[in-house]
Amino acid sequence: MAMLSAMTAAASMFPGIIFASEQEKGIPEDANLDWKKGPCRFCGVGCGILVGTEKGKAVAVKGDPNCAVNKGLLCVKGYHQIMCLQSKDRLEYALVKKNGKYVQTPISEALDIVANKMKETIASHGKDSVAMYTSGQSTIPEGYVASKLMKGAIGTNNLDCNARLCMASAVTGFLTSFGADEPMGCYEDIDYADYFVTWGNNMAEMHPVLFSRMLEQKANRGAKIIDFATRTTRSSAASDRSILFEPQTDLALANAICYEIIKNGWMNRSFVEKHCNFSKGLTNIGYGLEDNFEFTDKPQKIDFEAYKEFLKDYSPEAVSKYSKVSVKDIKFLAWVYGNPNNKVVSYWCMGMNQHTRGTWINNLVYNIHLLTGKISQPGNGPFSLTGQPSACGTAREVGTFTHKLPKGVVMNKENRELAAKIWKVPVENIPSKPTYHATEMFRAVDRGDIKFIWTQATNPLVSLPKTGRYRPAMQKKSCFVVVSDVFPTPTSDVADVILPASWHIEKGGLYGNSERRTQHWDKMIEGPGETMPDAWMFIEVAKRMGYGDLFPYSKENHVEEIYNEYKQFHEGAKHEMAPLEVLKKESGVIWPYVNGKSTQWRFNAEYDPACSNGEKFHFYGKPDGRAVIWQRPFEEAPEKPDQEYPFWLNTGRVVEHWHTGSMTRRIPVLHQAMPNAYIEFHPDDAKALSIRNGENIKVTSRRGSCVLPASINERGLPTKGQVFVPFFDENMLINDVTLDAFCPISKEPDYKKCAVKVEKA
Amino acid sequence: MRKRLGIISFFVVIFITFIVVWGYSYQQGQEEAYIPLIETPTGNFIPSESGAFNRFDASGLDYLNMPVDENHQRTLETYYDNRAFEGAPPSIPHPVAEERSLGGNTCIQCHQNGGFVEKFNAYAPVTPHPEMINCRQCHVTKNTNSTFTELASAASMETGFARSTPPKVGEGVNNAMPGSPPMMPHRLHMRENCISCHAGPSAPKEIRVTHPERINCRQCHLPIKATQSTMDASTFLRQFDELNEK
Repeated sequence: MAMLSAMTAAASMFPGIIFASEQEKGIPEDANLDWKKGPCRFCGVGCGILVGTEKGKAVAVKGDPNCAVNKGLLCVKGYHQIMCLQSKDRLEYALVKKNGKYVQTPISEALDIVANKMKETIASHGKDSVAMYTSGQSTIPEGYVASKLMKGAIGTNNLDCNARLCMASAVTGFLTSFGADEPMGCYEDIDYADYFVTWGNNMAEMHPVLFSRMLEQKANRGAKIIDFATRTTRSSAASDRSILFEPQTDLALANAICYEIIKNGWMNRSFVEKHCNFSKGLTNIGYGLEDNFEFTDKPQKIDFEAYKEFLKDYSPEAVSKYSKVSVKDIKFLAWVYGNPNNKVVSYWCMGMNQHTRGTWINNLVYNIHLLTGKISQPGNGPFSLTGQPSACGTAREVGTFTHKLPKGVVMNKENRELAAKIWKVPVENIPSKPTYHATEMFRAVDRGDIKFIWTQATNPLVSLPKTGRYRPAMQKKSCFVVVSDVFPTPTSDVADVILPASWHIEKGGLYGNSERRTQHWDKMIEGPGETMPDAWMFIEVAKRMGYGDLFPYSKENHVEEIYNEYKQFHEGAKHEMAPLEVLKKESGVIWPYVNGKSTQWRFNAEYDPACSNGEKFHFYGKPDGRAVIWQRPFEEAPEKPDQEYPFWLNTGRVVEHWHTGSMTRRIPVLHQAMPNAYIEFHPDDAKALSIRNGENIKVTSRRGSCVLPASINERGLPTKGQVFVPFFDENMLINDVTLDAFCPISKEPDYKKCAVKVEKA
Repeated sequence: MRKRLGIISFFVVIFITFIVVWGYSYQQGQEEAYIPLIETPTGNFIPSESGAFNRFDASGLDYLNMPVDENHQRTLETYYDNRAFEGAPPSIPHPVAEERSLGGNTCIQCHQNGGFVEKFNAYAPVTPHPEMINCRQCHVTKNTNSTFTELASAASMETGFARSTPPKVGEGVNNAMPGSPPMMPHRLHMRENCISCHAGPSAPKEIRVTHPERINCRQCHLPIKATQSTMDASTFLRQFDELNEK
């Protein structure tokens, strides 16, 4: 009853989406459920959920009406998430591989084996022979102890995470343009914007709750959605305008939009003069296809005239020829951004981040918003969406990348000193040189440089590009593989030790979503068997390796103790994290949390107390307080369709499954709606090859092949000359086919473009 | 003279207009001097996915604010009355204007957007596929109540055809968990526009949705079984136990 009245209160606070009361009707009157709040386990939108438990079992999920993200609405994955816990093949006990068979082992013994193996490997091959590969699904405490163990205690930077595969370009984009990571705006922008431009982003399926908020604004206020992509999807069907472009030409199109904005006098001159610099970097920067590839950009300041001169190559007429977007559409997009009366939000996710020029395209979209001054204001701004629940909270803020520390980077002496002080380790412990990013880490496993790897909450042998190389690499005797996970996956199949992890509601923790919102939840149910929270596994291993005094946390309360220690890193108005009492009460709080208030729009003096230059805007991430407009040219993709391999291959996701599907495929509702992957064709291509729906098709690249049923005019429609495959299906490993080329600045691989041929299987 | 001047100035005006129009179109021609690479897309639609979005936009119907007319609403029972089985095309329960017509606009004028019809004292059901205009290819009238074999006892449709039970609806029937959004118990072919049957005054009361404004239906509601899949759709379980020695 209290719940109901709370909901009515919430309904008056957030008009519009209120859904949980509706769901309440479906729950039998006599059910005596205990509801606890938390974030959803899946994507980076970070919806608030309420989990209903009964007799120690989770039995129902509904949207949290108090959460400003989703206001009570969820998507089909969110509603059914707890059903995977009932899966029969849950990893409940530690398994140790003996003579090719997994033998059930008490967890303390398994942890002994892991700790001993780690110690032995370090003793005989050095610190840099051990590595840890974590996840954007790791909680904040998990990421924090992993970083402290690897960088502080052991003293190696061999720590990276799967967020490298999804968010690294967003990070380098923010750092190069603004000097401070993570979006300046928040989801509330949706309530104010007139135009939503989605760049290569099928939000109707991948960020459905946010898309529903957009649809609501479309219906109520007449806001317009413009879908700007290489594939026709549900989002295109629901948008006001769908504009299709040729893969990789987004770089040129963004420049063409800037060209038109300047040409038509839509540039916000006073904003640019006060708050922006112009810079250029190196060009022809390579694709990282070879092992040990290294690249460092050399930024160089330029003036506005030089930038204008550079844009001359990008007139709509010139770009239209190779982007296959009409001049009219380019001018229309420029008008959408340029017209001073339009409030515009740009959204993007993997289309721009998984790009061999990912940092550049992020920079270029920021250019559009900086040139027009449409940034850091309600309803105006670029917004980089994330794919994992804590890609921001853990991977980016705690810093589980090889070059990162909880605050700053390992290359910076002051940052190292702060970390050493809080971690209570000698500063010399923390090496100043980054080592392996995700792709290179698995290449090092293949080369035999890494002899021990521990993966946590991730499934690299489905999600890495070119898994055809990395699967045999991980099977090699030269590398000892430890996998902590909830379910068996193709990655755990190659493990030497499998550690049974707790699922998110079986442990407490904190996540951080796309809009800088930190979300806390308490343990709701007991995990089965000997499952253990990942953070506690790290701590147990650290203790066994003799670092016990650095990890003085208690088993019951370690989440809170670790968060309070971590919070010290971000003290100050630029990144203050909310105290635990607040996080326990609220359904997520946006940082910087200063004087009891969330900062919804950073860099805007009206909302952000960290602005100190007396102007309306202050881009305080950069020493001179100015954001950077980057001169970044169009460069071709590393592999383009040719005579032998005539199709572009694009990969992605579907609404039913989340990433590699290890959780969602164990939810019967989702599995039965989408039991297997498929290969999408344009109907003209299908006709030319006389391919019918459902026929098995073998798709082959220079690296490998994969057989999938054809799909024509179903879920999505790629442009002519392009095929699309979702990557969730471990029985149809499309990543055997993809290319491990990456953005030289962010080191994030491009899963969206490589050349393939298709034939009937 | 005056008359002539009038005629001359008339032609001058026409000539100037011609020059301006010609000049403008010449300039336009110059601007597009390259060969445009844009091909007219063929088949550029996703029938199975776009239904609700398209109809929501095109009809401009304010489903959210439509009143529920309790005296004239359909029930599932009446809904199935003129269908042979779940998913079969409904027959036409009223006389038609012209026997020779395909249907087309005659049908569409009432069945595209619905509305109250005084004559039948009912709301016209909305078709999920108004773009298909050969209506009477599938929908036929009922001109007799008799049947072929037993003409005498013709009162009912009891022909020996084993009528399949239509899917059950209601709270908790199609839900995977208490309170979770119900799954779709029927196939979607030709019925991709969910709101045509699940919203508005002609929707059967048992299946009327409370939130017709949320048009991204498949964000939360999935078909119970994938319709197009040729693969085994039973629960996903890996063959991990083979490697396992418990």
